[in-house]
Amino acid sequence: MNRRKPQNRPKASSPSKAVKRDARAPRLGMRAWREQHLYSLFSSLGRIAARPWTTLLTLLVMALALAMPLLLFLLLDNARQLGGDMQQAGAISVFMKPGESAEGLVLRARAMPSVAAVVLKTPADGLEELRGQPGFADAMKLLHDNPLPAVLVVTPRNASGSEGAMALVSELQASPGVDMVQYDYLWRERLDAILAAATRAASVLAGLLALAALLVVGNTVRLDILGRSDEIGVMQLLGASSGFVRRPFLYTGLWYGGFSALIALLVVLLVEFTLLTPLTNLVSSYDHRFALQALGWLPAIIALGGGALLGWLGAWLAASRHLAAGVPR
Amino acid sequence: MRARLFRLTSHVSRLTFCRPTSHVSRLTAFAVIRFDRVSKRYPSGHEALSELNFELGRGEMAFVTGHSGAGKSTLLKLIALVERPSRGQVLVDDQNLANTRRRGIAALRRRIGMVFQDHRLLLDRSVFDNVALPLIIAGVARDEIGKRVRAALDKVGLLGREADAPVALSTGEQQRVGIARAIVAKPPVLIADEPTGNLDPQLSAEVMALFGEFQQVGTTVLIASHDLSLIKRMGKRVLVLDHGRLIDDFRPASS
Repeated sequence: MNRRKPQNRPKASSPSKAVKRDARAPRLGMRAWREQHLYSLFSSLGRIAARPWTTLLTLLVMALALAMPLLLFLLLDNARQLGGDMQQAGAISVFMKPGESAEGLVLRARAMPSVAAVVLKTPADGLEELRGQPGFADAMKLLHDNPLPAVLVVTPRNASGSEGAMALVSELQASPGVDMVQYDYLWRERLDAILAAATRAASVLAGLLALAALLVVGNTVRLDILGRSDEIGVMQLLGASSGFVRRPFLYTGLWYGGFSALIALLVVLLVEFTLLTPLTNLVSSYDHRFALQALGWLPAIIALGGGALLGWLGAWLAASRHLAAGVPR
Repeated sequence: MRARLFRLTSHVSRLTFCRPTSHVSRLTAFAVIRFDRVSKRYPSGHEALSELNFELGRGEMAFVTGHSGAGKSTLLKLIALVERPSRGQVLVDDQNLANTRRRGIAALRRRIGMVFQDHRLLLDRSVFDNVALPLIIAGVARDEIGKRVRAALDKVGLLGREADAPVALSTGEQQRVGIARAIVAKPPVLIADEPTGNLDPQLSAEVMALFGEFQQVGTTVLIASHDLSLIKRMGKRVLVLDHGRLIDDFRPASS
């Protein structure tokens, strides 16, 4: 049987047949894909620009929701730095009672197996040290005699916070003539615990605010979709896939997220700038042991990407819910 | 005898292959639109179409007519998969619509040009952008889009108006833009629901003549209309619906 017999079908066979097969193919080529994405990219920008006030409001709400966690993390970052170096915190300061000589204890401490090093600061050394501190020199002049105790700075051989170090602390505390033993590690540990708790709280807050940003984008896109339901209906009748119809809205979400993250970064920058002068004054009174940390590049880029992702996700949620209509099951 | 045998084999192949491949379709491809005992009952209980059987060949032009509510619009909606039949099968361009889902629905509609009574143009875009939409949806390259949009506008006599907004056009011109949009992607099937419903007799005749031209180049054209005098003058095949039943299939002697 002659299966390829063309019969007397009118034209329509070669060129339009080729077009038809193209259209039927479920996936379009790379070029067409790029073409469609560019189209969606720019048409979504046009949509945003067409409603400047709605856009601005959405952007500001989202930007504030994103700026809050950024500022919190910045604050915690700086607080952590203020806490100082962990290595320094390993030393034990032993304050002698006023007038007590420290020589005996120095010898005994050096003999202890758990002690790595002992440095003695005599009352005269302490006075000298204080005079070196800014603002203290004048106060020192008022003193008739040296009220400072002798101080031993003991470096334990064991790791900070270990059982051996803690035993050493109590042993030193029990030594005769000792007024007070200060082990920085303990308060440092407490500070770390506080910071960890605050970081966790900030993370939870960031999560909640991200959810709020998601809902803001979702709602804006939802309203956009409702306002364009006629247009969407026409596009679906013309054979637009749900992906094609959804894409401009996803890009809208992407723009919203990206732009609001950008505004959030500007807000953070503004806050940094506002606090710079008073904080610099404060810092200089701390003898420059602490420098104000600005938000780094990496967190900024992560914030931008995260914002854009949030916008995309919010738009996707809204679009998927609303575009299912118009297609029979 | 040979003809009968052929008809029999083609029938068998249709039964065997739910979605015939192009080889098989060459044997059976006389019908571009085929309704096989199609009924449509809306959830409200209204039976819009019952037991409808007809075929439309490649390059054939036909009218669907009948009083309002006879099922003309429903018939067209079933072809474009805006609605699904309650019973029976619809085949469009070798594709069994019963097996067509989501992505397939979009692909099917890309092969059907649709013209509406109220033209359904996007009013916030230019004439050019409206006509270009099906090509953008199909992923045609940009320079190619320009050429084809101008060719389509030329065909409907609106070449100079591509930058205008649709609202700046007369009703007849808007309808012609709608037609340009329907044919710009060169679909094998063109359906129109009361395309002359809002037009005066002369514009109606012009629009109908335009549809006749598309038939000449091999497009299958199906038009729902209740303008009997116009239909009569066109001298094409006429399907007459009454309360959802096909009561007449009039074929003029010439076609």
